[in-house]
Amino acid sequence: MADHELDICLANEIGKLETLAERLEAYVEAEAIPPTPAYRLQLAADEFFNNAVDYGYPDGRAGEIALRVRRAGNVLEAIFSDDGNAFDPFQAPAPDIAGSLEERRIGGLGVHLVRTLADSVAYRREDGRNVVTLTFSLAATPQGSAPES
Amino acid sequence: MIHIERFVEGNVVVTAVRGRLDSSSSPKLDEFLAEAPAGGEVILLDFADLSYISSAGLRVVLKATKLARSSGATLAVCCLIPQVHEVFDVSGFSTLIPIHPSREAALATLA
Repeated sequence: MADHELDICLANEIGKLETLAERLEAYVEAEAIPPTPAYRLQLAADEFFNNAVDYGYPDGRAGEIALRVRRAGNVLEAIFSDDGNAFDPFQAPAPDIAGSLEERRIGGLGVHLVRTLADSVAYRREDGRNVVTLTFSLAATPQGSAPES
Repeated sequence: MIHIERFVEGNVVVTAVRGRLDSSSSPKLDEFLAEAPAGGEVILLDFADLSYISSAGLRVVLKATKLARSSGATLAVCCLIPQVHEVFDVSGFSTLIPIHPSREAALATLA
């Protein structure tokens, strides 16, 4: 494995979330990734891992969820893949985030956060795996604002 | 890992959360906030030491906000780090839940 790259492969068990978080934490520290892209990467990994575990294997079979992160210049690229049932998260309807408190439901919020906070998102189904590729810019962004704003 | 503390300042019940709110820790905050507040009560979630929140944590905050609203109580948050604030903004929570920059500012408004 080249420097500046992280490769993680985990069983589809929710208990592995802690391992994922710890490995990512160590990676962003070692790479001196600024706090905002580091947070966005960790959030994306967390949301995808949870979604894959919760919905990818409805028959309860054992599966494998992988994450590869690499830094190329000013861009952080993250590739998530899992061997769960085919599912394109970006085809799901966006949640209504402008509704009143009473109207607000939470379905799809995780994917919405990831889609908004990543600079690019892509999905493909490849060799029986869901593959999601995200990029995060390491260039300075104003605090508390999404890159698209 | 998460640590939750509750104390009362005047008529405001402050719940301070330290650590991470993800899918494994959020149920603990959910349990902590499960009891319906009394009418007129003010709940302040102090997130100064909250380093991380995912959609699982946001769900718990939304649920507590709805519970407070239906009980005639008020819920606000304070002291978000910039990355957590960004998640509140992007999820649209900033328009639903009052966010105060500091505990002092929150108490000055709410107490």
